[in-house]
Amino acid sequence: MIDSRAASEALADINEMTRRVRQSRIYNLASLMLIMWGTLVFAGYLGSFLLPRQAGYFWAGLNIAGVAGSFAISAFGYRKTGIRTFDFRMLIAFVLFFAFGFLCTSVLGHFTPRQMGTFWPIYFMLLYVIAGLWFGQAFVVIGLCISALALVGYFLLGDWFDLWMAFVDGGGLMLGGWWMRRN
Amino acid sequence: MAEIDDIIHQPLRLRIMAGLNALPSGTGLEFSKLKQLTGATDGNLGAHIETLAKAGYVAVEKAFVGKKPQTTVTATAAGRGAFARHVATLQEIIAASGGKV
Repeated sequence: MIDSRAASEALADINEMTRRVRQSRIYNLASLMLIMWGTLVFAGYLGSFLLPRQAGYFWAGLNIAGVAGSFAISAFGYRKTGIRTFDFRMLIAFVLFFAFGFLCTSVLGHFTPRQMGTFWPIYFMLLYVIAGLWFGQAFVVIGLCISALALVGYFLLGDWFDLWMAFVDGGGLMLGGWWMRRN
Repeated sequence: MAEIDDIIHQPLRLRIMAGLNALPSGTGLEFSKLKQLTGATDGNLGAHIETLAKAGYVAVEKAFVGKKPQTTVTATAAGRGAFARHVATLQEIIAASGGKV
C-alpha cells in the first residue's frame, strides 16, 4: 500500500499526461487548420498584389473556402480523435467575428485596402493569442509574431505591403502550423 | 480499500496508461508519439508496453505506412477498467488521509 503523498504524486502525473495528450491532439488539428488558412491567405495577398482591383472577390471566395475547409478538417479530426474543433457554435463565432470586423472597417470606419490588410490579420491573431491562454503558448507566439510583422509592413514597406503580407501572414501561418506539427 | 494495481502503478506505465486513457475508446497513440509524450527511451518504453500488453491492458498493432513500420498502442477495455479502478484507489487513499499529503 502507498501513502497519500505517493498517491497525490501519481494523480498529478496522470493529470499532466492527460493534459499533454489533449494538447498534442489540439495542436495536431490546429496545425492542419493553420496550414490550410496560411495557404489561402498567401494566395489572397498575392492576388491583391498582382490584381488589386479584384482583391475583394478573392478574399470573399477565400474566406468561404476557409470556413468550409475548417469544417472538413474538423470532421476528419473528429473521426480520428473524437475531439470536435469546429461545430455550429464555432460557425456562429466566425460569423460574429467577421461581422464585427466588417462593422469596424466598413461601417464605423472606412479603411483603405492597406489598413484592411493590416487590421484583419491582427484581428485574427488577437483570437490566436486569446486561445493560446487556454490551449498552449504556440498560439501566443504565432499571434504576436505575425501581428508585429504586419505592423512593420504597414508602416515601413510602401507598395510591397501585399507581397510582404503574403509571406508574413500566409507564410507565417503555414510555418506556425508546420512548427506545431513538429512539436 | 481496493489494492493498488502494481502493473499500472510503475511511473512510466502509469504515464502510458494515463496518455492512452485521455483518448476516446478505440483510439491509440503511435509509439513515436508516446515516446515523445512520456519522455522515455525506445527500449524502456518498449519493455513497459510489453508488460502492459501481457496483462491485457493495451493492444499493440504493427503496420507499415508506406515502407515505414508503425506501431500503435491502444488501451483495451480491460486496461481502461483497471486504470479507472487504480485512479479511484489513489483518490480513496488521499481521502482516507483527510486530504493531507
